[in-house]
Amino acid sequence: MATNIFSIGISGLQAAQAGLVTAGHNIANANTPGYTRQEVDYTNAIPTASGSGFFGNGVDTVTVRRLYSQFLTSEVLSASTQSNALDSYYSQIQQLDNLVADPSAGLSPALQDFFTAVQGVAATPNVASARQAMLSSAQALKSRFDVIDQRIQDLRDGVNEDVGATAQEITNYAGQIADLNQRIIVARSAAGGQPPNDLMDQRDQLVAQLNKDVKATIVVQDDGAYNVFIGSGQPLVAGVQAYTVTTLRDPLDPTKVTIGYKTPSGVVQLPEASLTGGKLGGLLSFRNQTLDPAQNALGRVAAALAQTFNAQLRLGQDLNGQPGTDLFSIGTPRVTPSTNNTGNATIAGAFDPANVGALTTSDYRLTFDGTNYALTRLSDGNVRSFATLPQNVDGFTLSLASGAAVAGDTFLIRPTVDGAQSFDVALTDPSKIAAAAPVRTSQGTANTGTGKVSAGVVNALNANLQQPVTITFTSPTTFDVTGTGTGNPTGVTYTPGQDITFNGWTIQISGTPAAGDTFGVGPNSGGTGDNRNALLLAGLQTQKILDGGTASYQGAYAAFVSDVGTQTRQLQVTSSAQAAVLEQATTAQQAQSGVSLDEEAANLIRFQQAYQASGKVLQIASTLFDTLLALGNNT
Amino acid sequence: MRIATNTIYNLSVSSINRQQADLLKTQQQISANRRVLTASDDPVAASRVLEISQADAINTQYGVNAQTASGRLAQTESTLGRIGDLLQAVRQNAVTAGNGSFTASDRASVAQDVQAMYDELLSVANSTDGEGNYLFSGFQTDVTPFAPSAAGVQYLGDDGQRLVQVASGRQIAVSESGADVFMRVRASNGTFTVSAPPANTGSAVYTQGTVTDPTAITGHQYQIVFTVTGTGTTAVTTYDVNDVTAGTTVATAQPYTSGGAIAFDGMSLQVQGAPASGDVVQIDPSKDQDIFKTISKLVTALQGAADDPASNARLQNSLNDAIANLDQALDSVNSVRAGVGTRMRETDDLQSSSDDLSVQYKQNISNLQDLDYAKAVSDLVQQQNNLQAAQKTFLQTAQLSIFNFL
Repeated sequence: MATNIFSIGISGLQAAQAGLVTAGHNIANANTPGYTRQEVDYTNAIPTASGSGFFGNGVDTVTVRRLYSQFLTSEVLSASTQSNALDSYYSQIQQLDNLVADPSAGLSPALQDFFTAVQGVAATPNVASARQAMLSSAQALKSRFDVIDQRIQDLRDGVNEDVGATAQEITNYAGQIADLNQRIIVARSAAGGQPPNDLMDQRDQLVAQLNKDVKATIVVQDDGAYNVFIGSGQPLVAGVQAYTVTTLRDPLDPTKVTIGYKTPSGVVQLPEASLTGGKLGGLLSFRNQTLDPAQNALGRVAAALAQTFNAQLRLGQDLNGQPGTDLFSIGTPRVTPSTNNTGNATIAGAFDPANVGALTTSDYRLTFDGTNYALTRLSDGNVRSFATLPQNVDGFTLSLASGAAVAGDTFLIRPTVDGAQSFDVALTDPSKIAAAAPVRTSQGTANTGTGKVSAGVVNALNANLQQPVTITFTSPTTFDVTGTGTGNPTGVTYTPGQDITFNGWTIQISGTPAAGDTFGVGPNSGGTGDNRNALLLAGLQTQKILDGGTASYQGAYAAFVSDVGTQTRQLQVTSSAQAAVLEQATTAQQAQSGVSLDEEAANLIRFQQAYQASGKVLQIASTLFDTLLALGNNT
Repeated sequence: MRIATNTIYNLSVSSINRQQADLLKTQQQISANRRVLTASDDPVAASRVLEISQADAINTQYGVNAQTASGRLAQTESTLGRIGDLLQAVRQNAVTAGNGSFTASDRASVAQDVQAMYDELLSVANSTDGEGNYLFSGFQTDVTPFAPSAAGVQYLGDDGQRLVQVASGRQIAVSESGADVFMRVRASNGTFTVSAPPANTGSAVYTQGTVTDPTAITGHQYQIVFTVTGTGTTAVTTYDVNDVTAGTTVATAQPYTSGGAIAFDGMSLQVQGAPASGDVVQIDPSKDQDIFKTISKLVTALQGAADDPASNARLQNSLNDAIANLDQALDSVNSVRAGVGTRMRETDDLQSSSDDLSVQYKQNISNLQDLDYAKAVSDLVQQQNNLQAAQKTFLQTAQLSIFNFL
């Protein structure tokens, strides 16, 4: 019996020592990221049976255990991957937000200055300085479009770089997790199934960091290894095997760096929609939901401005009496064939100046199934089918420039993405600004009636636009028309104020003409003081042209600013809400797994005292043994 | 609940971070004096500000345009005033020249005066604005509008009126076509003209006539042909009225009394004096006769008149024609001038309403994006207090540890 007291004392000493070591380890790792506090599990040793009952045999140290909750940890992971996605989206969109509404850096001031200059030309059409000012402010407008577009381009380049760096990180984490899987399996079997807590913490920390990059799903295997999946179920780590995530150019849009997955047969593109969460998810969302539409919206303002302005200028006449020429130049809709196409069709895009109002900020995908083309508007999924090209849709025209498409061929059409970048000033000679109208009206000097003719409006280009046309009244209610291109109708009924349209112009005659009265329409030669076309140009500023005739240029730009602002605002709110969710999840998880120094201090005292007490047990056992030895000495 | 030591630090730090961010935001707002620093601060306000600032810029531009228009109109107005004065002076001379006691040389000197006024009128009609643009040449501002030629003064300008946008939906004409002012002036009473061919030998003087019934006006050419039967005291003068256009006779062998009204087809005129047999008074629908022609005809009439009854009658008729035509010209100039004056007043009104509107717009923009200073400063103080409290309590909480007692 008495011999047992030594082993009891020793088991107590060892147990207390284990407790002290663990408390010390906890204290040492209090600030280690991913560390889970540990506890020693004790049990009372198997007792020894005797006639007088079971005598205890001290304490057994069973294992050292992590205070780890799979549930709380996965809560933190999912909150963290969300929070990181929103944070990275928010930090990107903030840059755009700062750019667009800045009163000095946005498009607005340049647009206003330009139209002020147009008004200047309207006020003094034959003053060279006013015309020069209009050209200069057109240049300023062009460079403002450039600056904003360049900034968007910079953001796009930044996203591309970040996507690449994140892909690299993901691959690194995959390798490290696979490595730790291996070490954990080995360590566990070497220790007879005891958990290698600290290796497991390190692996969980890597999983947490991986989730900050992209949402990853964990499946725990029987041998303790983690299998990790990303995207729509692509394995990133399977046991000790790690896979590689890499980058590639989007086959439909070479300007986009996107995520690929290495398989033995080559790199496959991972659908961007499946890569949610984490920094990567945030970057991709930013690019698809904000950056592309933003660049399109800006480009649309540029494309619409250039087209409508040029169209009006072409209806005018410059200071030299020549027909008006384009002030702005604008590129064409960008059409990119997929690199996977097997046909050799080249699809050409062009703007449709007659339907500027139909332009959208969306991109389109054109697919060919062998007989029909299907054009999908990506913003809302609207699909239009047609068997032949060319086709006019949404303010642009698609035509087959060369070759032929094969079933399965796909093209990406981005009508307005290059609008802002390709917007340029085509005119250098101020005298070529068409401020005047090419025709003017006159009334016969021998007229005896009170008929008056309006100044006339040019609606369309016509080869006979400037042909002299004479309207001769044969009676107060009828007139004849003579002149090339009119078909010389006779006996036309006269209604005061009604439109009279020939050769691309429209005039109105009012009052009471007398028989024999004549009215003429002819070229506006020498009309240097005429500002009719300049007034119409200035009127474009407030004309509702875009969005099917509901928004002016400035209105469309304001809507774009409002969109960016609203998105930023939403992200600000959701990202801070998500940060709060993450904070709560982390607090709950830490409440379970985090180190409390006060608690460890108490444990230190507890195990110190236990150690001292066990020492006392040994001392008493020793004293007892001494007593026995002394018995022999006395006899 | 169990609290991990790190949680105490992390929560405190993130709370302090948040409060510092709020404080910084308020500080930025105060230093920029704007509530809306970026579009995300208030997306609706940000886009409204863009729209209103465009409206404000356009409004300012309209104000500038109205000022330009006002200046141009003022110039046109004063030029028209000068033209009116000249016409008035010519008319005065025409009246004076009708004085029966005037001799041919008197009339010749009047003719000289009138010729000088004619020259001045031509130069005023060709006047330019400050930028060298001709006032009355329509769209062709570089073309001298009125050019003398053998056939009289030619108008080389056009009917164009230059417009200035002074409000949304309102374009105001700032130039007048020279044709309207100088060329398109209806002769005589505006409806028909009365004339006597130079072949007349009698001393009949006609009046310009009046329209008595506008609905009966045919627009035809008529001739009143006088016939004198008998001689001396038994002479009887009758007249026929022929509708030349229709080839019909309106009245035959009507007895003629000097100064009596001759009325037909809605027209009435008087003939005075003694027409010779076969003398004709012709009536034509009124056509435009330019002011220069009116005056040059007056000069010619004044220069060429001899002192016999037929010549006197011709001179009298010419002077009557000239006075009637000058009245028409004055009417024409005055009505154009009145139009210009109305538009000047409109531009003045528009300028002041544009100023008012501008204040409104600026107020709107300010309401949308500017900072409520008092509120911002009070927010700042509150946020400072909150931050200080968080910092203090963090320090105190962090100091609590059992290790302090070990």
